[in-house]
Amino acid sequence: MTDLNYILEAVLLLAAPLVPVIAGHMLRRKFPQQIALGEGTEPVPMTGARKLGRWAGNILFWGGILGILFMIVVVLNFKGRI
Amino acid sequence: MKTLRPIFIFLSLALAGSSAFALEPVPWNNKDYAAEFKYFMEGAAFTPETWAALGPKEQESSLLEAKQPALERQQAMKNYYAAAMKKWDTASLRDYTSKTKEPDIKAVDLWLGKAKGAAFARKLAVTSSTLRKARREGLSKEESLALEPYLQPEAIEELLAVKAAAEALKKQAAPEALKGPDSKSTASLNKFAGPDPSKLGADSFAKLYDNMNASGADPVVAGRGQYAAGAAHTGAAVQYTSPQKKAAFTMPEVKSAPAAGAVPAGNAKSTALTSDAYGITVYTSGAQQPLTFRKGEDAVAAIRRLPDGSITKVIFYGHGGPGLQTVGAFDVDADTARDILKGKMARGGVVQYSGCNTASIGGMTLNPAVGLSMVARRLLYFSIPYFQDRMSGTPAEQAKQQWEKGWNADLARDTSLNLRGAVVCGYRTFGLVPGRLPGVTALMGNQEATTPGYVAGKKACYQDGKEVPAP
Repeated sequence: MTDLNYILEAVLLLAAPLVPVIAGHMLRRKFPQQIALGEGTEPVPMTGARKLGRWAGNILFWGGILGILFMIVVVLNFKGRI
Repeated sequence: MKTLRPIFIFLSLALAGSSAFALEPVPWNNKDYAAEFKYFMEGAAFTPETWAALGPKEQESSLLEAKQPALERQQAMKNYYAAAMKKWDTASLRDYTSKTKEPDIKAVDLWLGKAKGAAFARKLAVTSSTLRKARREGLSKEESLALEPYLQPEAIEELLAVKAAAEALKKQAAPEALKGPDSKSTASLNKFAGPDPSKLGADSFAKLYDNMNASGADPVVAGRGQYAAGAAHTGAAVQYTSPQKKAAFTMPEVKSAPAAGAVPAGNAKSTALTSDAYGITVYTSGAQQPLTFRKGEDAVAAIRRLPDGSITKVIFYGHGGPGLQTVGAFDVDADTARDILKGKMARGGVVQYSGCNTASIGGMTLNPAVGLSMVARRLLYFSIPYFQDRMSGTPAEQAKQQWEKGWNADLARDTSLNLRGAVVCGYRTFGLVPGRLPGVTALMGNQEATTPGYVAGKKACYQDGKEVPAP
């Protein structure tokens, strides 16, 4: 049981840096920069809420990528490479 | 009824007797078996837990087996201590100061008590530091007085004479002295190829001379007595390993100049891509420039020479982990820091550990980078070693206890408890030093920097175990 707890904990900890990347990716898909309604139609202008959603998605996505890079640097540091 | 009375009496006596003679478990470190338990402790044959897990019969046979070697070991330690506390001559001084290690002092402490252990450690500390000082800068008459309880008068005289020898060597090392007569025969002497004579120990001289390894008398060493763990269970005889004789002593180096420990800060220009930065920086009151050292041993020697209460700041720079800071090959934990710095720190002086995770993770945070650092710390210092232990067969409880205790150790707080009055700072997170990044190192030319520049990390400072704002 102790092992199972720690395995679960490790999985969750490893997943932590990926959470913002996935959430950001989902937000970016939900709030694309341009919505095309059909050929020849004008793209729908971005509303304030959509802009905010897109902006949050970008922050989470790129922040998450930076977080993963940070973890890589930390592991390299731990291994004495830098 | 009268006839039954003697039977009752006999039965009750028998019951009382049987309970009196029944084997009872012997508590760990029982005073009646002091020598045996010391013997077990020294050889790490049992711990209180493993001892308690033994049955009374096994305990008794273990104690019986250990009795003789334990008494012999006790006598050997008494003899060792008696010899060590006599006034030393020059050979014994060199011998004891170069060969006596921490385990020897611990052995005296264990077998003969803390007072004798402390007396022995004090004698070694005083004589070692005086010997070092004598070699580097010579001794004054006043300083030699402190040696009277420990050394024979002849040995003190010889130590006082070292100063004159060192000065003569210094003169020789001066450029004008090095020039010498300008002739072909003396010029060819410069091409003499061989090891640096100062690096030749007495062993090497003996080997050079007669191809034998011995050089002088065998040193007296405390050695180690070892109880063969597990022998008690199988009934095998206890094996006592006699103290191992160490190699003959080496001649102390006589240096022609003071130790080259202090490295000028600007001397570390390099074009290397990756960093090899680590070092110890010591700021003292009244000094314009800090002292910087690459080697921990050099720093320790220099700090010992400083007057008490003179250090305003000391920076240990290198890699860190929970409970430990490394400076190259030199490790610093809370106890080492106490041994090095006790009494030397000025009131409110700062001890800075510039290494990752040298403080505990602390409380909750909203900073995602700090959060990620906590995650990484838990994974690297708990999860991975825990599963490694489990895969090598360590019981879950044991592995859990060990790593749960260690992963969040707080070196800064522990050190602050050891160095009362000083402010001790460490990092709660992995500390990132831009100057260490590959490429940046080459750009800045500081591959072997001894002092960190900017460190990105969450700092925590403690004074007497309580968190205080960073100075």
